[in-house]
Amino acid sequence: MRLAATIRNVVHTFGSLREVLAKANPPKSGDDLAGLSARSAVERVAARAVLAQVTLHELRQNPVVPYEQDELTRMVEHTLNEAAFRAVAHLTVGQFREWLLESTTTGEHIRSISAGLTPEMAAAVCKLMSNLDLMTVAAKCQVVVRANNTLGLPGRLSSRVQPNHPTDDVAGILYSMREGLSYGCGDAVIGVNPATDTAESTAEILTAIDAVLKKNAIPTQHCVLSHVTVQMRALDLGCPMDLMFQSLSGSEGGNRAFGISVALMDEAYDKMKRMGTARGPNFMYFETGQGSALSSAAHHGADQVTLEARCYGFARRYDPFLVNTVVGFIGPEYLEDGPQITRAGLEDHFMGKLLGLPMGCDACFTYHARMSQDELECLKVLLGAAGCTYLMSLPVGDDIMLNYQSTSYHDIPSVRRLLNKRPTPEFDAWVVERDIWDYEHNRPGENFGRPEAITPVRGNP
Amino acid sequence: MARTRELVAELRERLGGAAPQPPPAPLPRVPEPPVRVFPKRHEGSRYARETAAHTTALLGIGQVGTRYATDVVLQFQAELAVAHEAVATELPEDWAAKNGLLGLRSRVTHHREFLLRPDLGRRLDDLSLARLKMEAKHGVDVQPILADGLSAVACMQSGLELLASFTRACEARGLTVGTPVCARYARVWLEDEIGQTVKARVAAILLGERPGLGTGDGLSAYLVYEPAVGKTDGDRNMMSNIHARGTPPAVAGDRLAVLARAMVDQKRSGVSLELGHLVAELGDAASRHHRAPQVRERLVEVPT
Amino acid sequence: MILEPLPPRILSVRRIPNADPALLLAYGADPARHRSLGLVTCDQDDPTYVALDEATKFAHVDVVFAKSFYAGAGHASGPLSGEILGVLAAADPDEIDAGLKALVRCLESDACFYGADEAKKTAVFPHVISSLGHYLSAAAGLKPGDSMAYLVAPPMEATIGFDMALKAADVRAAKIFPPPTETNFSAAWLTGSLAACEAAAVAFCEAVVRVAANPKGDVWGG
Repeated sequence: MRLAATIRNVVHTFGSLREVLAKANPPKSGDDLAGLSARSAVERVAARAVLAQVTLHELRQNPVVPYEQDELTRMVEHTLNEAAFRAVAHLTVGQFREWLLESTTTGEHIRSISAGLTPEMAAAVCKLMSNLDLMTVAAKCQVVVRANNTLGLPGRLSSRVQPNHPTDDVAGILYSMREGLSYGCGDAVIGVNPATDTAESTAEILTAIDAVLKKNAIPTQHCVLSHVTVQMRALDLGCPMDLMFQSLSGSEGGNRAFGISVALMDEAYDKMKRMGTARGPNFMYFETGQGSALSSAAHHGADQVTLEARCYGFARRYDPFLVNTVVGFIGPEYLEDGPQITRAGLEDHFMGKLLGLPMGCDACFTYHARMSQDELECLKVLLGAAGCTYLMSLPVGDDIMLNYQSTSYHDIPSVRRLLNKRPTPEFDAWVVERDIWDYEHNRPGENFGRPEAITPVRGNP
Repeated sequence: MARTRELVAELRERLGGAAPQPPPAPLPRVPEPPVRVFPKRHEGSRYARETAAHTTALLGIGQVGTRYATDVVLQFQAELAVAHEAVATELPEDWAAKNGLLGLRSRVTHHREFLLRPDLGRRLDDLSLARLKMEAKHGVDVQPILADGLSAVACMQSGLELLASFTRACEARGLTVGTPVCARYARVWLEDEIGQTVKARVAAILLGERPGLGTGDGLSAYLVYEPAVGKTDGDRNMMSNIHARGTPPAVAGDRLAVLARAMVDQKRSGVSLELGHLVAELGDAASRHHRAPQVRERLVEVPT
Repeated sequence: MILEPLPPRILSVRRIPNADPALLLAYGADPARHRSLGLVTCDQDDPTYVALDEATKFAHVDVVFAKSFYAGAGHASGPLSGEILGVLAAADPDEIDAGLKALVRCLESDACFYGADEAKKTAVFPHVISSLGHYLSAAAGLKPGDSMAYLVAPPMEATIGFDMALKAADVRAAKIFPPPTETNFSAAWLTGSLAACEAAAVAFCEAVVRVAANPKGDVWGG
């Protein structure tokens, strides 16, 4: 493999495929921070030209984190679907891009080869694509999963209700949850990031949410996003738990920083399979985000897009019900501004879908990043148009516990109406029954935005 | 031949018949001017009043179509502006000395670099390292570090109170506490180098957290056992939302001391720190059932 | 696009050079003066009345028979029936030929209905005859050579339109045909100077368009 390209008589040579992958990335402050970015716009294009000539077979031979050093690399290598891999192994990344874009290539075709792709392949083709390319291909990929309801069907856009509270005040959590439900949000999950990472607190929150969902016969799932070991202990306490959550990173070292490993996740998955309360067969929930490996110095000289793809390689081992990138959460040192966050959201959604995951996105920014509210609203519409499985939803998009800005309870019905989307079929029926949305006139129903319409459980609001 | 076709063609032009759309419907009768709808105060909703006792989330705000009322938009934008201002504020260089703290600084040299280069914010500059070696007490149980983090506003507002309550609570639990220091342009992991330098058993950094909407004044605390450069997030225990409307600094100081005591007793920190048996104590200390006065400040006032 | 012509379809044109006297009598011809007949069927009746009148200006022909069929072309008795049968009578076949030629030219390039709305569900006929022939002038009680606005639309649209037309120009009503007619349209014949007839026809047409677009509001809005 000779890694060189000539532009205007200047020969650009690269030392490794990992370097080519990194330099082919559009500008990201995180790659600058890691010292991996292309030195100039021309060098960036040269890297892409080289990458376009690399075959998928060569990418498999050259994982960005060596086999000997990383259990994720080994896990991906050992579990790759060989037949699916053989079908595309001969393609160059450039040809693969064209095959994905070709109108005769359907979502079914893509799904049939998905299990033969390593994360590096998804990342590589991502780098040759424009934002609209990413949306075009992602919109083809359909990933349908089921827990208590069925997520990812065409024409659907789901949402997580995220009723976080700075001190885990259960009443405060339930008030926010009921309001979200009254806007037709929450069909993906009612997911709470706890302020206190203890099994008892996790169990208490889950039990309280469960009671309201049952009382109102709401077809959705619940989850408290504490550490996976805390959730395992909460299961032992005997609490209901529809989905089990964990943040993932793209390398063994990154995951160690999160306090997890493949073995631990296998154990958690098995436990959840036995003790989880959702109908299934999907019941895991993962969050990712570009930059997590670098933030624990576990990036092995690889760029953040490729490492993000490796999170998805990890996630797909557990047939998850939900996976989302928390795209602007980690801060400006990884994604500095609106264009970078927008690009990363579309990249992550594309790579996740390509690798067969029911990919959602927490379109968000922290208050120290340079992204405006208007730019964020645009990203929500782009994601919806690209077929994103779900978005988050919070009161005015404001997370009062984690202090960042995401999608709001009002944004979900707005984007749905704009793009002609509906929630999951089971939840949709509930929304109609409760007169939250009036589909006959495609406008808010009588109970839209009326949290009083969701009956509280005695003892809790 | 008659001119009918010509006449009709002219009429078509005049009525905009060549446009791809039918002529606009005539204006409906303009209804009576509405009773004043702005500002539509959400505080009027019963649900909003009920929730206000439990959460600062903007609930019961109603909607216009599927969007926000103008009043809500303005409140939201004001809060966003406050958060952005908090990020932009810097800790004055002489603030530490004025407040009797040992002033330190990371390797960051200016504000944008601070935002984009967390690696530089995790290490002390040479001068600070030398001062720390010279002037700070070594070999203590707990090394407290006050820092700006992402909100110098929070650091200046309630940092001293949290530092004092934490120090008192540690000493009450039989822990020795090191020389109080204050670091500028500091990231969480700066506690590793500081703690390692003074050979503390536990390092505790109390720093301004990423501002939230309308709240640029929250502090977070991160504790790590046997601090050393190279420790990761999994090695730490943290507590966030330390401010008057979340966990008040006085209460937070107590709870952090419980964590520090547990680390010293169990000789570890982070994910493997066993807290199950401390739930009662932590619960009380954290006052999880204490209803802090949760009132979201109204930022925009317009004459009605 | 609104106000596009809805061209009439001539469904059949035939001659009978030497008609049986019984037939001539039955169709209102005079065997003493008439020997030949020219027949036409068309899917629009009012343009055909205009075209028949046009024929009388170009040949020595009489319009001896012209009747609309009940419920219009949408309910025709056969593929050639259309909405109307018109019969010209003359002394010889050459006159019939000349008359039919003028009639066809008029139907193909002059008299027609127009769609008053995008969907062409409402048809309007705002036709101006600058100079009447002897057929329509007799029917209207006017003189040959007079100008006439021949206005047709469905009942509601037409009724509003007639009022607008009468008020828009210095014209008077020669005849008004309220519904129901054979085809369930309403028609009016207004007369005045040519300019007045044109202004009246335009006002009528505009009114029909506006009523069609806004069936429950005031015609001119506001």
